[in-house]
Amino acid sequence: MSEAGDGVDGREPDADRDDAVALRAHQQQVSAAPAELARDAEWQRLDPRMMLVHPVREVIRFLPVLLGLFVAGTASGGGAWQYLGVLVPITVGLLRYLTTSFRIAQGRVELRRGLVSRHVLSTPLDRVRTVDVTASPIHRALGLATVRIGTGTASTDSDERLDLDGLPAGRARGLRAELLHVAPTQNGEAAATSPVDAEERVVLRFDLAWLRFAPLTGSGAVIAAGLLGGGAQLLNELGVWSDLDTRDWSLGIPIWVALVLAALGLLVGVAVLAVLGYLVTNWDFRLSHSPGSWHLSRGLLTTRDTSIDDERLAGVTVGEPLGLRLAGAARLSAIVTGLGSEASNAALAPPAPRDVVVDVAGRVLGTDTPGTCELTDHGPAAARRRYTRAIGPALAVLAAALLVVLGAGGSWWLLILPAAIVAATVPLAADRVRSLGHTLVDGYVVARSGSLNRRREALAVDHVIGWTLRSTWFQRRQGLTTLVATTAGGRQSVTVLDVPETRAVELARLALPELIGAFGRRVADRD
Amino acid sequence: MWLVGCLGEGMVTLAILTGAALAWDSFPARWWLVGAAVVLVLGYAAVVPQWRYLVHRWEVSDTAVYTQTGWWARERRIAPMSRIQTVDYAEGALSRLFGLATVTVTTASAAGALRIEGLDKALAQRLVDELTLKADAVEGDAT
Repeated sequence: MSEAGDGVDGREPDADRDDAVALRAHQQQVSAAPAELARDAEWQRLDPRMMLVHPVREVIRFLPVLLGLFVAGTASGGGAWQYLGVLVPITVGLLRYLTTSFRIAQGRVELRRGLVSRHVLSTPLDRVRTVDVTASPIHRALGLATVRIGTGTASTDSDERLDLDGLPAGRARGLRAELLHVAPTQNGEAAATSPVDAEERVVLRFDLAWLRFAPLTGSGAVIAAGLLGGGAQLLNELGVWSDLDTRDWSLGIPIWVALVLAALGLLVGVAVLAVLGYLVTNWDFRLSHSPGSWHLSRGLLTTRDTSIDDERLAGVTVGEPLGLRLAGAARLSAIVTGLGSEASNAALAPPAPRDVVVDVAGRVLGTDTPGTCELTDHGPAAARRRYTRAIGPALAVLAAALLVVLGAGGSWWLLILPAAIVAATVPLAADRVRSLGHTLVDGYVVARSGSLNRRREALAVDHVIGWTLRSTWFQRRQGLTTLVATTAGGRQSVTVLDVPETRAVELARLALPELIGAFGRRVADRD
Repeated sequence: MWLVGCLGEGMVTLAILTGAALAWDSFPARWWLVGAAVVLVLGYAAVVPQWRYLVHRWEVSDTAVYTQTGWWARERRIAPMSRIQTVDYAEGALSRLFGLATVTVTTASAAGALRIEGLDKALAQRLVDELTLKADAVEGDAT
């Protein structure tokens, strides 16, 4: 123990000297570096205008507590003292500003914050993967923007995000450009994504006509279906259905008309909400490419600029929820290493016509084939499995309902819903069979599956960081397995569902030959 | 290339399940239900740990780490050495009782972590050292 201590002590002066040398070297380097970075070399606070933003935000966050306090204060007959409660969040907001400072020096971005528990976040510049510039309405009113520096950490804790909350908008943009510029390119990783143009090239621009797809998006349809299904279920549970005839109706219109009207109203409401949501998030959507990175900007109230390094773009996902698919539309998102779980940031195209989306996918990947090529289907065993899995549970529900009706003597109407579900699952299963497919083309693993939410994922082989083969007892009996290619980006993995086992191993082998020393032989041993 | 069988984690599982069954016994429920549960638990404890033990394999080559786990749903995972980010060594309370340890190998993907459970302590330590050395020797930033 003491020896170790001596060792450390003995090294310390050297280490100090090294640091000093490094510091001087860096300072020289920094002085030669772009203006924005040089300006940020000293510890400094964020923009003073944030003193307005933080208190407002804290007040909003504390609003429930404040309201509670206010009610309690009024109820206990206290005087004006309860209004003092507002001071607490304001103080907190001011302190947040005063205790936060950052610097960009010695090749690192460093952020200090916190009064009671102090955080110092520090990351090397060459680890910077994405730089987002976000501006909420408050920020925009004051001409500010938040710079979020993404470093590819798996942490979802908001305390550990590197957010420079509140820089003047112009400075934020400059900082972004320079941060991305400084991050050195790594050779050999997806270098072939796209030809490097000298100037920024706009690939996709928002089109008002796309608004027609908004009501069909997953969100709208899911909300509507959830509300309707949940409502029906609830009524069913409460036994309202069987009581309907005996109840008095003062409405003056038949119950079915009322129900249909209510459903229509609900649909219109959901559609309007969906359109508004679409507008708010995707207004002025613009996807462009400049040398080395992709830029996305969008937003009506809160504007959001995202930059994605070419090398971090591992692949794309073409999502086709049922509604969009029927309307010939799709959406596109990127699989980006280092963007974490914030999938919404990675959207490359809002719901838009399928042709447009596929075209953008082709341009982003630098090759059209992963988006358009034919996929290998998974064979009869996988198809059988789709049918049994879709219809089986529905049949079980029907059987249970039948038992209940026969046993407890409920109304035969109870059987209609389960029977309808069974009938609906057959085309669903057929569609899922049609969707199922995979291939390996142009260095991309492509997989497609799902029906209600069909998605086609293309992942660059370079970005596959591991394989998982998962098979339940049922799957093993049919010689199927689910192959999962894990990656550091997007949803963290690409799943090839129910692929025949030999094919799965072959796919993994073709994709990453160097792994096969361990892998193929083990599988061979097992069989 | 080498392959070492893992040590029995079955005992650990059994202990957990018996504990759970005991906890349930104190609950004043209908006795036949408890009896059925005990039978189920005993059956589970008799079969599943053995099954798990039979399935559970792992190996380390120069280029990759490979594990096979599970019983009903069998899962095989492979992580290239170049993509390993951290190697964790953990001893749970129960596994310490049996002198065992768990080694977790994580990659940059949340979906790709490999757990090797129920390793003999000394072996686990050696494995951690080896993996750390090998992962360190490979170039790249592990994404």
